[in-house]
Amino acid sequence: MFWTVTLSLLEGFLGTIKLFILTLIFSLPLGLFISFGSMSKYAVIKYPIRFIIWIIRGTPLMLQLLVIYYGPGIFFGVNVWGSNPSGRFVAALFAFVINYACYFSEIYRGGIQSIPVGQYEAGQVLGMTKRQIFNKIILLQVIKRIVPPISNEVITLVKDTSLARVIAVYEIIWNGQAFIKSSGIIWPLFYTGAFYLIFSGLLTFLFGYIEKKLSYFR
Amino acid sequence: MPILEVRDLKKNFENTQVLKGISFDLEEGEAISIIGSSGSGKTTLLRCLNFLETADEGTITVRGKKLFDGAKPVTNQDELRKMRLHFGLVFQQFNLFPQYTALENVTLAPLLAAEGGDKAGIIENGKRLLDQMGLSDRMDNYPHQLSGGQQQRVAIARALALKPDILCFDEPTSALDPELTGEVLKVIRNLAEKKTTMIIVTHEMAFARDVADKAIFMDGGVILEQGSAKELINNPKEERTRQFLSGLAK
Repeated sequence: MFWTVTLSLLEGFLGTIKLFILTLIFSLPLGLFISFGSMSKYAVIKYPIRFIIWIIRGTPLMLQLLVIYYGPGIFFGVNVWGSNPSGRFVAALFAFVINYACYFSEIYRGGIQSIPVGQYEAGQVLGMTKRQIFNKIILLQVIKRIVPPISNEVITLVKDTSLARVIAVYEIIWNGQAFIKSSGIIWPLFYTGAFYLIFSGLLTFLFGYIEKKLSYFR
Repeated sequence: MPILEVRDLKKNFENTQVLKGISFDLEEGEAISIIGSSGSGKTTLLRCLNFLETADEGTITVRGKKLFDGAKPVTNQDELRKMRLHFGLVFQQFNLFPQYTALENVTLAPLLAAEGGDKAGIIENGKRLLDQMGLSDRMDNYPHQLSGGQQQRVAIARALALKPDILCFDEPTSALDPELTGEVLKVIRNLAEKKTTMIIVTHEMAFARDVADKAIFMDGGVILEQGSAKELINNPKEERTRQFLSGLAK
């Protein structure tokens, strides 16, 4: 029984990891563009972006999942996601990417704005272009500063993936819960915690390694 | 022909006029020191010369070529960048790039500008400059591993690496512990002896007098007095200059 459960949970965990990795791949860069938008000198860009960030950060992710999945059908009469599992997965991924990109954008914004203006000016008087100043001087300093808060968000994301099951996306909790109905046992559900712990432990090591790699400068 | 001619430079921030018409000349190989109390506009003047601020009126002419005219300011980023290369600036707070070693700080901008040109030559030049600053054993250190005086000397080498026509110093020793100012003043003194064209904003009066050929006393956004550095600091003509200098002596 233990092996059956473990295999089933592992299969569910693959869904979890798939959602986790794809969310990061899309939301980390998207967050950077959103942060540029939220710092734009043009009010027509800045304020709409900040409004969206307020909505996304101000409402529960679970609600966003439901609105994004059911919303198009209810409000516009078109089910853009389809009703098969892969459609639901894409809907969940969409919600996660938007949500995490907004959180990441605020971390980026804090990181970028914490770099002393003297760093930009030093680059300017050395005749560097704006792009060179950002890529060669600012970026690495920003990365160093945002690694701890990003690692926090990433570890939160591992556990947030479990919310995807409100729109019936298969992940590890879903599979764990299935044993309650099928076999009348609850321990597989509790057992899922071990998977989360091991995975977030690995991530903690990874981020610790990155932090150490960047500790050669201050 | 002077290497630098500044004419009637004016700059406003919001409703306060920080520069109220600054005019002076600088000859090649000369050093000029700018003194005055804080808020007199010294730093703003340097920032206008380096185009970190855009003056509202007036002209800046380098080697006979009008670089800046307040009547038609340049907004093109590429042109602005080229204009800045005529000037070097050493900041009060050093502003070294923390993720690069001393040598990388010095060679970063020239390497980017050369786009794969004479890489070895640029690195050789960077080493020579650091050696000249007395930092030959510190080239591979990161800024946080250096003392304030060493950091400022790296910053001077970094500014020199681009071979500016005029090197500007914005209170280069104000952020340093007193026992570290000497080593920075010494390298600036050496540069003066090598006839480097310099503009030095400083609160070190003895230094301003001994190193610079000319001096400018600024007060409330105007040049109140200018002349030979020795004359101006030893025998100021204006009452306000005397006040300022005797206030420092107390």
